[in-house]
Amino acid sequence: MNMSVQDDLDPVTVEVIRNKLEGIADEMGIKLIRSSFSPMVKEGFDAAASLFTIEGEVLSQAMSVPGHLSALVPIVRQFLKTFPLDRMSPGDAFILNDPYMGGTHIPDIGMMVPIFHDGRVIALSATISHHQDLGGMVPGSLPTTATELFQEGFRIPPLRYRTAAGEDQTFLALLRKNVRFPDMLLGDLNAQYASCVVGIRRIQEMADLYGGTFLQHCFASILDRSEQMTREALRRVPDGTYRYEETIDNDGVNLDQPVKVAVAVTVRDGLIDVDFTGTNPQVAGPINCVPAAATAPVYFAVRAASGAHIPTNGGCFRGVTIHFPEGSLVNPLEPAPVNSRTAALKRIAVCMLGALRQALPDDIPADAASQLLVLIFGGTRDGGQRYITGELIVGGGGAGSGLDGIDVIDTDNTNCMNNPVETLEFDAPLLVRRFELAPNTGGIGQYRGGLGVRREYLVLEGSASFTHRGERHFFPAKGFRGGGDGQPARSEILRKDGSKVDIPSKMVTTVAAGDRIIVQTAGGGGYGDPALRAQDALAADLADGKISAEALTRDWRRPADAPSEPADA
Amino acid sequence: MKHIKPGSGIEVGVDTGGTFTDIVFRFPDGTVRIAKERSTPADPGRAVIDGILKNARAWGVSLDDIERVVHGTTVATNAIIERRGARVGLITTDGFRDVLEIGRQMRRDMYDLRIQPVAPAFLVPRARRKDVPERLLASGEVLVPLDEDAVLEAAKDLVADGVRSIAVCFLFAFLNPAHELRARAIIKAAFPELHVSLSCEIDPAIREYERTVVTVFDAYVKPVVSDYLEKLEHNLVAHGIDGPFQVIQSRGGLCSAELARQKPVKLVLSGPAGGVISGEKISSDSGRGDIITVDVGGTSSDIALIHKGRAVIRNEGTVDGYPVRVSMVDVNAIGAGGGSIAWLDSSGALRIGPHSAGADPGPACYARGGQEPTVTDASVVLGYLEPSRFAGGNMTLKPELSYEVIKTRIADPMGTSVEAAALGIHRVVNSQMAEGIRFVSIKQGFDPRGFSLIPMGGGGALHVCQLARDLGIRTILVPSRPGVMAAEGLLSAPVEHEAKRSVHWSFADTTLNQVLESLTNLDAECAVAMAKDGVPEGKAKVRHFADVCYEGQSFDLEVPFTATDAGLRSLPEAFYDLHDRVFGQSTDGPVRLVQLKSVHSYLAERSDMGASFPATAGDQGSETRSIVLPGAGRVDAAIFQRASLCPSTEIRGPAIVEQPDTTLLIDQGWTGRIGDEGSLVLTCNPDTGVTK
Repeated sequence: MNMSVQDDLDPVTVEVIRNKLEGIADEMGIKLIRSSFSPMVKEGFDAAASLFTIEGEVLSQAMSVPGHLSALVPIVRQFLKTFPLDRMSPGDAFILNDPYMGGTHIPDIGMMVPIFHDGRVIALSATISHHQDLGGMVPGSLPTTATELFQEGFRIPPLRYRTAAGEDQTFLALLRKNVRFPDMLLGDLNAQYASCVVGIRRIQEMADLYGGTFLQHCFASILDRSEQMTREALRRVPDGTYRYEETIDNDGVNLDQPVKVAVAVTVRDGLIDVDFTGTNPQVAGPINCVPAAATAPVYFAVRAASGAHIPTNGGCFRGVTIHFPEGSLVNPLEPAPVNSRTAALKRIAVCMLGALRQALPDDIPADAASQLLVLIFGGTRDGGQRYITGELIVGGGGAGSGLDGIDVIDTDNTNCMNNPVETLEFDAPLLVRRFELAPNTGGIGQYRGGLGVRREYLVLEGSASFTHRGERHFFPAKGFRGGGDGQPARSEILRKDGSKVDIPSKMVTTVAAGDRIIVQTAGGGGYGDPALRAQDALAADLADGKISAEALTRDWRRPADAPSEPADA
Repeated sequence: MKHIKPGSGIEVGVDTGGTFTDIVFRFPDGTVRIAKERSTPADPGRAVIDGILKNARAWGVSLDDIERVVHGTTVATNAIIERRGARVGLITTDGFRDVLEIGRQMRRDMYDLRIQPVAPAFLVPRARRKDVPERLLASGEVLVPLDEDAVLEAAKDLVADGVRSIAVCFLFAFLNPAHELRARAIIKAAFPELHVSLSCEIDPAIREYERTVVTVFDAYVKPVVSDYLEKLEHNLVAHGIDGPFQVIQSRGGLCSAELARQKPVKLVLSGPAGGVISGEKISSDSGRGDIITVDVGGTSSDIALIHKGRAVIRNEGTVDGYPVRVSMVDVNAIGAGGGSIAWLDSSGALRIGPHSAGADPGPACYARGGQEPTVTDASVVLGYLEPSRFAGGNMTLKPELSYEVIKTRIADPMGTSVEAAALGIHRVVNSQMAEGIRFVSIKQGFDPRGFSLIPMGGGGALHVCQLARDLGIRTILVPSRPGVMAAEGLLSAPVEHEAKRSVHWSFADTTLNQVLESLTNLDAECAVAMAKDGVPEGKAKVRHFADVCYEGQSFDLEVPFTATDAGLRSLPEAFYDLHDRVFGQSTDGPVRLVQLKSVHSYLAERSDMGASFPATAGDQGSETRSIVLPGAGRVDAAIFQRASLCPSTEIRGPAIVEQPDTTLLIDQGWTGRIGDEGSLVLTCNPDTGVTK
């Protein structure tokens, strides 16, 4: 069963070099996140740093958001296509954000530098950051009502951003005029470059010690090893084809049209084929996702199903093939809008896990709320100063065998922090009136789904463009093995004049001083027969107000006086 | 009040660890005696008292002559890890009682599908979290006045529910403490015996989740720590030891047990502080300002940085994975130590850790049933450890068990010799430790090549040459007693108090008067505490710091400054320099003051503990042992005993220096000499390159 990689390299040296590659990526990640200005990066860690082989395979990656697990791969491959290795020079840096040329959506800018040793490129160092604004129809460049890419912001094809002589000033002048916060953007591009340079310096030091050619042999061995270990781990998944479907609320434009995501995961001898046939055709609104983006949740599920001890690199995904039907939601034709792709990506992750759960029912919990509610306020204060602030809010986790779902936790291919209320109120004329667990929102079951959360805002000054990018308003997180579904999300605006606006999952509108916005995220799915729920667990939930007395009789079908006091809540 | 009377008596340091309680006596002439006693985890104070009494007797010390006792305790930390804290209630702003449970909604392990809670809701289940009407704005102004009846009702409910301790955390209380102070007054008036922790006092800084967590942790450990220290002090006094009784806090300063009981959360990250303070002392004695300490223990290695003679301090650490925002010496643990287990993954690669054999069963060579090969087993196979002299001869190792387990688990499957496998284990774990050290340095913006390395703990000295080589470090300082640095550090730590205030001022709008007014209050707060701890008035060293960030950026940096016109004016420039060091870039953009801090410290003048050495080297280095070194293979190493080294001894690697608390491996290319301050100084010959 032990099938060691056969090469003539000393496995100890390979492991020593692998440790160093991990260390370099971590160092790049620290540099990137801490020196960035954009709140998306500095608070949300929406950024990644990786080392690549010259063939474009990931060598090591700084831990950040798993959504970026593969995001740099198509970017780096696009750079290699546009600027072949023999046309690169020391000091070069390349950037792009065009979703139809390797990018994922407009705010994500990828940057790559070649690492030279003895006059040739031996590796590549790359970073990706979610920038705060790249122009387009709304501040933040995530317009949920966009119907074509041109509305989504300033598009950057693969470009030589700088040479040894410095940045391309023509490009920078153009860029500055097309974004809302040019100083912040340029600062963040500097941070990306500084992070790439860490990779250059450290790989060059290693090459001085070991020799560039030897180092590249080690890179190949490291990737081979992860490939083999992943394949071996996935052999425990019984061969077969597993299907799952999820439904996206709507595409943000046609609000009455749900959008279907379907996957068929075929496992054979540790190899995985994913087929998106049956997925909705591309849609008018911006939830389309290009294959470069749609790959990330597939890889996430493969990585999560194959074991923590395997070093994460491009080798882990060599055994994965994916079919993206042309013209579908996951392979749209230019210039379909793509900015709100996260909605689709999270549904893809849920589909992948749901399919694999049929083969691994004890390992994979019920569906999580798996929603990343994005709110953006771009407004003007009474004094005329402009502000912009973004919020990322999540729902409940799915329950599993022996495990309640976690209340309010980011899951699957994103892992974002929320905004502290105190920093939000410092940055913007908003008052958060409450931020509380939403009772009764977790799916019932022997193990309860995690609760969603309720957050309420009051606009204090002026007016603001308000973007609400919701999900799970109409299609709940499903329970598993007899567990109930989680409660759906819901949001509303209470206008100062007393009128009420229900937010149909996605909306862009204007809010003004005195308006209140109440958002509530979805709960996670429950696991197992609710009749088997332990009495003291129910009693604790009741005492904690995580379920109400009405819900106890209505949803859980227990007599009102049944739960004993928890032994020690 | 107990005044510190320097130089008049014997000082005692007691550091409680998981297995041993280390006892240090320092005599007025500077000599030091050390003993290790078994810890008594069920009642840790017993080992403290018994250890002092027993060794005082053994060393002929009258208890009356003990001038002060300094203690490093893990009671606060263990209360959290073992979930033995008090029953706590939490009172928050209306609408925000779930902040503690919602946390930052981010999970720790991205790929683990079976998610565990990431916020410490176990501290206060929802039923014991009460919210009351009150609200401050981001300006600190009152939007909703405090509902005093609601506070009283909440307190009554919580008391009925059996709480001993209440934490209060209101939004923006770091800007305006009025509501929290009033809430405490109401609670205390009704229930004077309750412990109350206020967020505006424990951690007056922005971000409600982090502030709530640290405040609740304070409330959680307060009754436990308070009972422990009170009882211990009572016992000391009962034995006639009635001088100052001090404990070390997480940032490496001492304070009286009495004051420590008021904000006990400041103790939870104090475990590694003593060792780092010892490092500071070696830094000052040796005149080497920039030092990295690496303490290799059984399951992990602790790494800390000393820059310009001072330990780097950070504003937040973690306990049991939860964020705890208290100032601490910046100690970073990596999951590789002497007990780390070596294993082959399914691709045949040699991996080390993160699993560890710990102290029980420990490495295979301990012969306590350990069946997994560890780093220590590799050290035995390579000949670094002498089985009969391990741990000062208190334990005899069984090398045949190390050999056997490495053979069957690693060498045979790899198709190599046992020695090659053992060497591989050292190379891999050294690469992990070196990357860990590099990461810690880089995070602070330092290039480790300019630093000296100090090995600590039982295992540091075995790895230190290889680590130095990998990091490009050319000087190593091996302290006299690397294995008991934490206990020794207790006696060289200053009495220290810190006070801080959140300000959130645009620098451009900030006046010197504003700053002076704040600092005057902070200084007064510190001065009261210093006086309570017996520091003579006017003797404390006063330092001021500002936490500064760019406008719009949320990471701030602590910048030392002097509160004068010129000092204030130079603040942005100092911030830009620091930003450039830590982040590798800076702009001259507008900056914001986030927090002002005052730190008062006092270290009594002492006769130095003059190291004493034998007059002649005696029969040193004539004994040799065959060992295996990376890059060199099997060589004969000269064996030295640390106790009989004298300043004229020069040791050329390969060599081994043995002492009861550790074993030092001196690699080829390194030369060791006793330095003036008593450390063994290893330097790397210029022509020795880095080992692959």
